[in-house]
Amino acid sequence: MEHIEYHNKLFKYIFFLPAICLFTYLPVAAQNVRVAAAANLQSVIEVLQKDFKQKTGINIEPVVGSSGKLVAQISNGAPFDVFLSADMSFPETLFKGGFAAKQPVEYARGSLIICSSQNIGFENWERMLLTARVKKIAIANPAIAPYGKAAEEVLKYKGILDEVKSKTVYGESISQVNTYVTTGVADVGFTTQSLVKEAGSKTDLYYKVIDPKYYKPILQGMVLLKHGIDNRGAERFYQYILSPAAKSIFASYGYRIQ
Amino acid sequence: MDLSPIWLTLKLAGITTALLFIVGIPFAWWLSGGRSFFKIVVEAIITMPLVLPPSVLGFYLLLAFSPQHGLGKWLHDSFDVQLVFSFPGLVLASVIYSMPFMIGPVKSALQQLPAALAEASYTLGKSRWQTFKSVLLPNIKPSLLTAVVLSFAHTLGEFGVVLMIGGNIPGVTRVASIAVYDAVEKMDYTSANNYSLILFSITFVMVIAIFVFNKYQAKSPLG
Repeated sequence: MEHIEYHNKLFKYIFFLPAICLFTYLPVAAQNVRVAAAANLQSVIEVLQKDFKQKTGINIEPVVGSSGKLVAQISNGAPFDVFLSADMSFPETLFKGGFAAKQPVEYARGSLIICSSQNIGFENWERMLLTARVKKIAIANPAIAPYGKAAEEVLKYKGILDEVKSKTVYGESISQVNTYVTTGVADVGFTTQSLVKEAGSKTDLYYKVIDPKYYKPILQGMVLLKHGIDNRGAERFYQYILSPAAKSIFASYGYRIQ
Repeated sequence: MDLSPIWLTLKLAGITTALLFIVGIPFAWWLSGGRSFFKIVVEAIITMPLVLPPSVLGFYLLLAFSPQHGLGKWLHDSFDVQLVFSFPGLVLASVIYSMPFMIGPVKSALQQLPAALAEASYTLGKSRWQTFKSVLLPNIKPSLLTAVVLSFAHTLGEFGVVLMIGGNIPGVTRVASIAVYDAVEKMDYTSANNYSLILFSITFVMVIAIFVFNKYQAKSPLG
């Protein structure tokens, strides 16, 4: 009998423990701001996070992934307060679907670079991509990653899209392209300029900024999400991203600011 | 609907299972005889893919296959072979990934055979290899089938490793599990559902087949 009694007690503990944890955790969580950020922001978001924390004392929790994936998660009820996209159409989709509190605003413009971990010389890169020296070219999946779409536009503009198809490998987001480039499994990759700043001390990277006239501008949009309406920190972070302080941080990572 | 990811998955699982059958069964035989510390370590290494996150395996393979250094560089410089982003690379990864499913059932079945079986065969003047081929293997048919089907099904379900080293290339490395992920990312739930249903049906039929076949063996398919 005694051990049945013991089991009952144990069961109660096990049952209530998560509830107790949850209640003690909730007030803390309420002050945090959950930010869904496109993969190209993975390094700059950390700097913004520190700066924002210093200025306001508010913590943000960034979740970085491909814009498409984040939109799917938000549409399915993921508890994010602010969404920083790699383009304008994804935030637009969320706004139309009733998930956002305000119209999307542009906060930065991305710059596309061609990049390699070997010094292969980019003077005439469109010709170089066709040589046997380049075996694999990494781009982000054009269907879900705006930087991948831009890369495809550049290759099309140069008239070599079909010729390099057999060498192209698709990263699921710009982060995976960055992995492929920095580990050298892909000879070259089309990625965001902020990678160079991020990798600065860790790996030697050789790159060339792609002339913006070869691709449609990568306008990166932000929305305040419905989930963040009652979170004052979320509103402050939203304003902060549009402030001169944040703009200069974006600029230092190669983003163009209007 | 593009069926190439399904064919690619079946091709990958087929080739992987065939290779594992050739390599894994002698290996299981070696492991089943006697226990040395060395064998325990080897068996632990083979078992690792069962408990390791596939992303860990994928990460190590990404480093190992990189044409910049080590094994990948040697392959690249000597044979002009690049394993990352290629079908042969996926085969090699799958062989490592599904190894425990081939070796586990075969090894434990061999260990459960009465020692008298092999001894009688040796007494009649048969060699070790003849004994293994004509006496031991025919006696563990159910386990052989279980091992083959499980290795095949496990490779069908491979995802994390392929995501790390595949590069999502249509017809080359875009297997069905990746096609599902890709379709969900694009919010193309119709395609995702089609691929998922096909995968579910194939694996379900295979698992049912094992259960039915093993019904008279009075043991679970994983035994």
